[in-house]
Amino acid sequence: MRTLDIAWKDLKTFLRGKTRVIFSVLMPIIMMIMLGFIFPKTGGSYSGNIGIYSQDLIFNAKVEKSVSSTSENKMIFYDSRQDLINALASGKLIVGAIIPKDFSLAVALKRPVTMDIIPNPANPQAGIMMSQELVSMLGQQDAKNVKRNVQSKLINADGTHFNYYDFTVPGLMAMIAIMSAMTGLASAITRERELGTLDGIMVTPVRRGSVVVGKVLAQSIRGFVTAMIILVVSWLFFGVHFSGTSLLWTIFLLLLGTSSFIGIGVMITSAMKEQETAMISMTTLTFPMMFFSGVFFPVQQMPKILQYISYIFPLTYAADALRNVITLNVGWSFIWVDVVVLVGYAIVSSAAAALTFQRLTYD
Amino acid sequence: MENKKAILVRNLKKYFKKVKAVDDVSFEVKYGELFALLGQNGAGKSTTIRILTNLAVPTSGYVEVAGYNVLKDPANVRRNIGLVAEKIILYDNLTAVENIKFFSRLYGMKDSLIKDRTEKLLKLLDIWNFKDMLVSKMSTGMKQKINLARALVPDPPIIFLDEPTLGLDPVSTKHIRDFIIGLRKEGRTIVYTTHVLHDVELMNVDEVAIMRKGKIMAIGTLNEIKKHFKKAEIVEIETDRRLLANEVKGKIVEQEDGYMKIEVEDLDQFMKDITKLNVRIRSFKTLEPSLEDVYIEISEGNSPEEQSKTVSAKE
Repeated sequence: MRTLDIAWKDLKTFLRGKTRVIFSVLMPIIMMIMLGFIFPKTGGSYSGNIGIYSQDLIFNAKVEKSVSSTSENKMIFYDSRQDLINALASGKLIVGAIIPKDFSLAVALKRPVTMDIIPNPANPQAGIMMSQELVSMLGQQDAKNVKRNVQSKLINADGTHFNYYDFTVPGLMAMIAIMSAMTGLASAITRERELGTLDGIMVTPVRRGSVVVGKVLAQSIRGFVTAMIILVVSWLFFGVHFSGTSLLWTIFLLLLGTSSFIGIGVMITSAMKEQETAMISMTTLTFPMMFFSGVFFPVQQMPKILQYISYIFPLTYAADALRNVITLNVGWSFIWVDVVVLVGYAIVSSAAAALTFQRLTYD
Repeated sequence: MENKKAILVRNLKKYFKKVKAVDDVSFEVKYGELFALLGQNGAGKSTTIRILTNLAVPTSGYVEVAGYNVLKDPANVRRNIGLVAEKIILYDNLTAVENIKFFSRLYGMKDSLIKDRTEKLLKLLDIWNFKDMLVSKMSTGMKQKINLARALVPDPPIIFLDEPTLGLDPVSTKHIRDFIIGLRKEGRTIVYTTHVLHDVELMNVDEVAIMRKGKIMAIGTLNEIKKHFKKAEIVEIETDRRLLANEVKGKIVEQEDGYMKIEVEDLDQFMKDITKLNVRIRSFKTLEPSLEDVYIEISEGNSPEEQSKTVSAKE
């Protein structure tokens, strides 16, 4: 009976917190609906432009004109590898292919030849699927021979082997950094409120804005340190490479990604009186975010309506910019939209948090 | 400065939906006064303190602290106050000195000044040897002393002490009480809430307000309140024989052999009656009601004035 008493007490105290109950009910609903609709039922439509950079002069002279583009998949030829990568980074291409020097000769002699395929990091699944189709499209006149001898190799922009982890790492970095900061925030504000130390701060002449900025800064640093750990783990165990510039961009974007979300977190946690409620509400918000923002599953593969929803979350922009920086090693001109959106989020949400903090923490 | 008002509260109301936590409360505290706010749990003391310290917004009414309106000029209000709340405002994972330094810096104090004042206060509170100890390892009494130092290092002229001796052992309680008496001698304005009525009597507070259900039921000096609420004279009399109940008119509170403690409505009549009896009076004195008597009477709603109206003992 005592066991039942304890269980009953726990449930009763849980049910007394209205906000906690609301978020606890909402979370499974959101999760189930989200996971039910996020994956395309037909396996997804893989359509888009295919970029070709050919080093084979014979291929350029003969094949370029004879390969056919379908209405869904248009082939675009580029003069250099960098042009191809830039087109991938700007989202014009779903996949890029690099035709080696001896491609035509090897096909003619029925010798095996390898074609490098660079999937668009924002939607690698589509790139992988398209690479199969690409082989057939290139060898329409001698399909059997081409299929038998042409191998495709998935690579990153820097030539290293591509795997799915290259797609997930940038998103995971941003997500873990943000979630770490969000969890810290629930503790930093609601716990301080429960303990009474927040009263100690609020009774001093310090500006409310300074309190918010201080909290944002501490949690951004916390999120950043977490991200650095992920970065080292990715490099050590999963072979993710960073050039000097991409490393600096990565550090900047992780810090910016974390800051962009903290203002929203401050507002939510300031309004919660109990730490448990704050944690549940933060989880309800951040957990769907990692699915919507294309951390595990490309945004482009989601139904249109969910794609629009994904643009609400700053994580979408952080993950997109990080992918371009890490996988394609490109810079400002390809990520400026993401950076501007993230800076906008950081300024607007922090300002809103600073303005509402006093009211939200008041009795 | 002495006659200036440190705190001015007019018709203060704070409602939480239908609950009237503070219901039309008015009072004022002069600079240098020790003002005690008494009342049962839920009487509205802490809510009043939270409004005065800018931690809660009033539903209506006017509140001025240190000459500044709490709603219009909160930064200046906060610059002049210190708070020791029911919950100890300290971080467990920081040492005593780290805690004090953190909170003092929020007042814009220089590190050298913080260091000097911290040392002075911790020595005064006899806790200097523990300055580098983590708060999590301290006893409740030690924590409360550090908590007091934390509120006082910025040297605020007005200090709010909300149940500062709650949960402390008698020795720690005495230390804190003596310290507060010392603060008062320094000329600091103190607003003190407590359940420990003994403390209030020992500290010789300037003014007392007793709250009940969000209202101030009595306000004035200790003597004024006691006098105002005195329903009957309490007489202690010692005679050479035991008096019989029908020999005197009054309610016998205590009786043992020739000693009797009795509540009498009319002292003159009692004196006349006693002189008519064939007894020798060894000692005789009248007693004032204790603050506890008044407090219980008000808290239980038994006072004759208990018709939802505030009583000013000065009237």
